[in-house]
Formats: sequence, structure tokens, C-alpha cells
Amino acid sequence: MSARAASAEVGYGPLVAALAALMLAAALASLMIGYARLDVPAALADVFAGRSTAAAVVLEQIRLPRAALGAMVGFSLGLAGAALQGLLRNPLADPGVIGVSGGAALGAVIVFYFGLAGAFALAMPLGGVAGAVVAALLLYALVGRGAGTMTLILAGVTVNSFAGALTALALNLSPNPYAAYEIMFWLMGSLADRSLPQLWLALPLTVAGWALLLMSAPALDALTLGEDTAASLGFDLGRLRAQLVAGAALAVGAAVAVTGAIGFVGLVAPHLLRPLVGNRPGRLLLVSGLGGAIVLLAADVAVRLIPVHPELKLGVATALIGAPLLYGLIDRMRREA
Amino acid sequence: MRACAVVWLCVALLASPAFAKPQRVVSLNLCADELALRLADPGVVKSVTWLSQDSRSANMAAMAAALPANDGHAEEALAYHPDLVLVGPFADPASIALLKEVGAPVVEVGAPQTLDGVRRQIRDLAATLGEPRRGEALIADMEARLASVAVDPSQPRLKAVVLRPNGFTVGPGSLVDEILTRAGLDNLAARLDIAADQQVPLEVVALLGADVLILDRDKQSAPSLADAALDHPAIAALARRMTIVSLPSRLWTCGGPEIVEAVERLAAAAKAARAREATQ
Repeated sequence: MSARAASAEVGYGPLVAALAALMLAAALASLMIGYARLDVPAALADVFAGRSTAAAVVLEQIRLPRAALGAMVGFSLGLAGAALQGLLRNPLADPGVIGVSGGAALGAVIVFYFGLAGAFALAMPLGGVAGAVVAALLLYALVGRGAGTMTLILAGVTVNSFAGALTALALNLSPNPYAAYEIMFWLMGSLADRSLPQLWLALPLTVAGWALLLMSAPALDALTLGEDTAASLGFDLGRLRAQLVAGAALAVGAAVAVTGAIGFVGLVAPHLLRPLVGNRPGRLLLVSGLGGAIVLLAADVAVRLIPVHPELKLGVATALIGAPLLYGLIDRMRREA
Repeated sequence: MRACAVVWLCVALLASPAFAKPQRVVSLNLCADELALRLADPGVVKSVTWLSQDSRSANMAAMAAALPANDGHAEEALAYHPDLVLVGPFADPASIALLKEVGAPVVEVGAPQTLDGVRRQIRDLAATLGEPRRGEALIADMEARLASVAVDPSQPRLKAVVLRPNGFTVGPGSLVDEILTRAGLDNLAARLDIAADQQVPLEVVALLGADVLILDRDKQSAPSLADAALDHPAIAALARRMTIVSLPSRLWTCGGPEIVEAVERLAAAAKAARAREATQ
């Protein structure tokens, strides 16, 4: 415990600054490392001079959206994980584990494969958000307030596997013969060959979600004292719940619509960083978002360096790190209980 | 005297039931559907796969749409009491065994990897269907059209790369590779050290330095991520630097006579690319 107390003395400001610097470094690595040899400074000069050389196109249209989406999606997952854990007061609440990501993937799949994506520009990310909202509401109906870990996990498993089955069904019903083979992307996620327009479409909804989640920090801190105390301090718990569900759905839904569901990021980031913010859920939000971005960017660099073809899905890489961690977490909770 | 004997033998063989034209043909494969519809008499083909009825992805859709469709299962074929069943190269061995057990003759229509193989396949299937003259006519037409796009060997060859759905490219030693060569294009995939068709990251394709980028794309097909890979904005941005040509998949999915149209379209694209280089 003394080690934790010591590390908690890092200070919130310096911690945020250090994580932000690390995230920028990871994003830079994501820009520099790829499959083809690219002279990044020369390509950058071409981009700024408006020369559409092949190198400039690769940097601007392929590497840049990949790095930016990696940071955006990782931040969303880490932040949403920390917020849901604060709300449900359970360290196992993660958008992937409780089925919010799975619901978002289903929503995006329905919009995309049945030709609705062309109806209006925001259809895809909004489809993801709608799926995430439905999953979150289903989960909340089952879990309610103050439900135990067991109920939460069982409800999550139910929502998750149902969403996965419906995603497979939707893909099978698509008239395109390739669709049925694309379930791996939606269930495991990937940043390969994403594009700038996808980033611009997802960003506004995502940022709105971040704002809702980050603004809930004081209420989440008060919630650690118990619901009654928090209410007596003037926090409206019904509103907080709605705000967090909406925020998580916006941030995760828009992200999943672009990259597919990527698990464990929302679990790993808060878990590693919680001791460094003195276990305060409000302070955990921003650092967990930054941590999630670092984890996802690092995983995305790793899948490009591992000589496996076709490229590993991102969810595979994050599960290889996250699943043992989840196992250890459950084991510890079991022994503490 | 000897020639006379041979002629008599042939006549005797052709008259025997073994060489009679099949009258009830069922095809369980897209590529076999199209060849059979081109070669057989009207009314002989009793059923084709549902894939052949989609004009976006099939060449003989108008004829195919008038026939009952099947899903490529052996049981479906048996319902027509066929005297010939055509299957594809990846047909389930259990289905073929089932068909043979009930006495339906099964012929496999393969996926030829060379132009010679395409000719041989047309000739073989025409013989099987008892229409050798129609087969020869089809081949003669192909030869004439191929001869008319023959590339001037003094011209420098252009560099090309193929991008198919899901980011697959086409390696050397394939029919598509030969189609490119015939159109005066050198396949850059040979430089990538890949054996057969393989997925290639988009940034590698962009930086290969191709003169012509060939997209395997059907414009109106239902959405999929596989096809969306060909709509990446980086490809549109590269259009300033290279000639981009979309080739509908129906022209080069099967090794049938339609590949000549693929050669013609690519040769036209190569000509456009040369003209463009000359003006720059």
C-alpha cells in the first residue's frame, strides 16, 4: 500500500503531461512505421507544398488517419472504461466486456451493409451510437443500481453474445458475397487502410461524448461516498447515469463504426493508472483516456511489425495483453471477497 | 482405304449413345454456367446458379434469368434428371460422389491459368456438349480480337498493378498476369516477392510507382468492406499520378471468352496512359 501511496504523489498535472507526451510519441511512431519505406520528412514537405506525390498521398491519406484514429479510438475506449467503472463502481466494467462495443458494431453493420450509409454523411457513426445506446440500456435494465460483479458480467456476456450473433446474422443477410467474411473486422477491429473522411465523420460525435464523460468527474468522485451521500451533496444521480450512458455511447459508438470493436483497452488503461491518481474516479477519466490512446497506438504499431499476413486484427493484440490482466483481476476479487 | 475406315469409325462412334449430345444439362458453377450457355443449344441447359442471373457480376445474365436457378447443391441438380452435370473446381467431393452414385455424368469446368488453358477448356466443353463447331467459332473470334490489340513490341512496356477487393493483388503466373502482358503491361506484383494472389497494404500499392492501377470493381454492387477498400480516397488522390482503370469482375473472374474484353479494355487504358505521359 505504501508503494501506491508513494506513486500517488506523482501529482495530477505532471502525470497528465507525461501521458500526453507519451501519446504524442506513440502517434509519431504510428506515422513513421508502416509497410512501405516512406521518407516522412520529405513526404511532409510535399504535403505542405501542396505537391501530390505518392509519398505525400501515403502520409496524408493513409498514415495520418491511421495514427489519428488510433489516438481517438483509444482515448474513447479508455475514457469510457474509466467512466463506466466509476458509475457501476466495478473495475470490470469495460465497453467491450459489458457489450456496448458489440452493440455499436451491430448498429454500424446494419447501417453499412444495407446501403443506409450513403443516405447521409453521419449515418455510419450514428448507427454505431444507436447500437451502443441500445446495448447500454439493455445492460442497465438487467444490472440496475448496485448489482454485484456476477450480475454485471453475466449481463455483459448476454448482451455481447446476442449482439455478436445478430451481427453475424446481418452480415449473412447482406447481398454482397464478401460480407459474411467481414465479421472478424467488426468483432476484433482494425485500423488498416482507414481514411481521413472517416476520421472527420467520427470526430464531432466522439468529442461530444468525451465532453459528457469528462464533465461527470465531480459527480463520480462524490459517488465513491455512496449514492445517498452523493445525492445529499446535490448530485442528481439519474442525470449522471443518463449523461454517462450517452457519453459512452457517443464516444464508443462513433469509434466502433470506423474501426470495429476493440476489446480490453477500457479495462487495461484504468486498471494500470488507477493507483497513480489515488483511486479517485474523477481524476482517472482524463489519464485513462490518454492511457487508452497509448495502448491502442502501441498495439497498432505492433500489428504492423509482427510479420503475420494478413495483418493481425487489433482486438487480437489487445486481448493478448488484456485477457491475462482481466483474469488476474477476477482472481484477486475472488480472493478478497 | 485407311482414311475411309477412320471416317466410318467416327460416324459409328458419333451415332452411338455415348456421343449423343446431352439434352438435360445442369450447371452448379458460375463459370460453367456461362460457358454452357454460350456453347449449348437453347433449351439444353436446364438450370444455372443464382450467381449467373445477376447482370452486375455475370456475362450471360439475360439468358440465365430465363432459367430456374440453383444454389450449387447436388440434390438440386438431381431434380432435373440431368444427363450432364457441370461442377466447378472447388466442388464438394461428397456432392460429386453423390451425383456419380445415381448415375449422372459429372464434368468439372476448371479455372484455367493461361490463355492456352482457356482455349483448351472451351474446346473440351464444346466436345462434351457435342458442339465442336461452336467451340471453334468462339475460339476463332477470341483470336481475331486478340490479334487486333497486339502490342507494338518497340513500345516501352508500362508498369501496372492490380488491386482487387480486400486489397488483394494478382501475382505472376496467373491468367490475369497473362491478360496484363497481352495488353502491353508489366505486372509490378512480380517485384513484391509474392507467390500467388495475396493481400497488399494500400501504402505499398501507392508507392510501387505504377503507370496504370487496375481496380477490380463493380460499381453498383451491395456495400462491403472488401469493395470499400477500392474507394479509399488515397486512390482518387493517386489518379493525378497514374491512369486508373476499373475492370468489372465479370470480365476476369472466369477463364472464359470474356477475358478478351478485359485485354481490350486494358490495352485502351495503356494507350491512354502513354498519351498522357507524352503530354506531360
